[in-house]
Amino acid sequence: MQYTNTLWYVNQLQESLMLLEIDDLTKSYRRGPRANDGISLAAAEGEVFGLLGHNGAGKTTLVNQIVGLLKPDAGSIRIDSRDVVADPGLARRLASLQPQAQVPISGLTPRQAVGMIGRLRGLPAAEVKARTERFAEALDIREWLDTDGAKLSGGIKRLTSFCMAAVAPGRLVILDEPTNDVDPVRRRLLWRQIRAIAADGVAVLLVSHNVLEAEHSVDRLAILDHGKVIAEGTPAGLKSTVAEDLRLELVLEPGGTLEDVPAFIRQRASTGTRVVTAVDSVHAGEAVVWAESLRETGFVEEFSLTPATLEDAYVELVGRADALREDGTASEATDVRAA
Amino acid sequence: MSALRSYLLLIRWQALRYKMLLPLMLVVQGLLAFGIVAGYPLLFPELDRNTTLFLATGAPAITLLTMGLVLVPQMVAGAKTEGSYEYVRTLPVPRLAFLFADLTVWAAIILPGVAFAVGVAVLRFGLDLAISPFVVPAIVLVILTASCVGYAIASLAPPMLTTIVTQALVVFVLMFSPLNFPPERLPDWLRAIHAVLPIQAMGEVIRGSLASTSFAIAGGSVALLAAWCVGGLAIAFVALNRRG
Repeated sequence: MQYTNTLWYVNQLQESLMLLEIDDLTKSYRRGPRANDGISLAAAEGEVFGLLGHNGAGKTTLVNQIVGLLKPDAGSIRIDSRDVVADPGLARRLASLQPQAQVPISGLTPRQAVGMIGRLRGLPAAEVKARTERFAEALDIREWLDTDGAKLSGGIKRLTSFCMAAVAPGRLVILDEPTNDVDPVRRRLLWRQIRAIAADGVAVLLVSHNVLEAEHSVDRLAILDHGKVIAEGTPAGLKSTVAEDLRLELVLEPGGTLEDVPAFIRQRASTGTRVVTAVDSVHAGEAVVWAESLRETGFVEEFSLTPATLEDAYVELVGRADALREDGTASEATDVRAA
Repeated sequence: MSALRSYLLLIRWQALRYKMLLPLMLVVQGLLAFGIVAGYPLLFPELDRNTTLFLATGAPAITLLTMGLVLVPQMVAGAKTEGSYEYVRTLPVPRLAFLFADLTVWAAIILPGVAFAVGVAVLRFGLDLAISPFVVPAIVLVILTASCVGYAIASLAPPMLTTIVTQALVVFVLMFSPLNFPPERLPDWLRAIHAVLPIQAMGEVIRGSLASTSFAIAGGSVALLAAWCVGGLAIAFVALNRRG
């Protein structure tokens, strides 16, 4: 299911309808750097498109321009082929948003909140009722449907907020960190529902900084760094842009350091006693022998050799872009686009 | 999706959101009205009929102004802080429908307090008020103006500043506005300020409609209120539509 053949996917995209098209979008705030700097991306009908980036990378600025809360300095945004920069009211009819901050619903039950948003978005009452029930069932939150919002846990509030965005989705659903606070079991149920609304014929723009989760749930993604798209493609495609396809993770003995690291092992990140390195699969055997020798001599407590993850690619790509930007040659060279 | 349907749904939304606050607000308004009616007479050695009339008609005016100019902006500032102001702005509803729905809910919350203040004053002073039929449009106009101005303050200022401004307004309304006393007692410069601010006109319109045989309502006061009302509404509307 999760594996996506990149070439097949690109062919599919060319045939399908682009519901969100952003072209060369630029936005700066007064007394600040460019929050969005020439962003171009597109999401198709039926697609879950991930927008990844650090805090402050420009994700929320981009979202607020799509729904018409902010006005771009330059560039265009089209939803379902219609210019929404010129008509922000249209944007709000065509797109629904689950904001990153919790939507305050104290005083309202989830049923009332979802029901009223559905009706405000123009859905007939009977349909709103049926869809509310269906989402509540699918997300396993039925028992809280009639509980006052003030008494709900963060996770249930977040799921309610998802239902409010999904009940009458329009053509584009924007979900900003939808899985925050949600327990692992319901996270899976939520991902299934995100897939389901996409399959119903909308485009889903999923904003997140959780790279691990995104790897298994988006069709394509763009990585945003300092307001620019530094990479775009399928999770598999982006992983292939990184030279080494394996990750060797070592847990050092407390106080230990790595010395005499072989040339084919590249240190990527370390936190405390945990060191993540990158290895090409042709060196897999030698890497295991080296790590095992460290374990036997007591330098390393344990190690694991696994396929590289999207997180590895993400760290690598952002690191590369940052290094280039610091060299002052950022704008031309950072654009890595995986087919 | 008609604007009317949006308006009605949004009224329901806001009413449900504030329903837990409603009893508390009624208590606060009741205490405020009671305090004005019971406390202000202590400032006067003797109460003549004119003074009691000013106190009796000033109490509902002060209650209403405090709610409109202080509570409304603080609640809007609160909605901005907690994110519901921004969330509503992402919904496909006409901005005016949202604004009017909010104002309707505020009016419904403020009205019982005004009625209560009138009742307390009549009981305390044993007055026969001459309530004119104009009282309904008069009170609606004053509530709308106070709420619109309050809304405009909260729309323009960041939440922290809104709190400070409204605290200052309370003192100004309670102490330095001719609601409980005739404007002639003010120094000239303050009278000049009150001639353009809506506070005195609000007091005058309420006084004139509750004690219609003793006080007249100047057409100019109604026009001034209407101007402030439209101005406040326009500012709040522009702020809701603003794209940064």
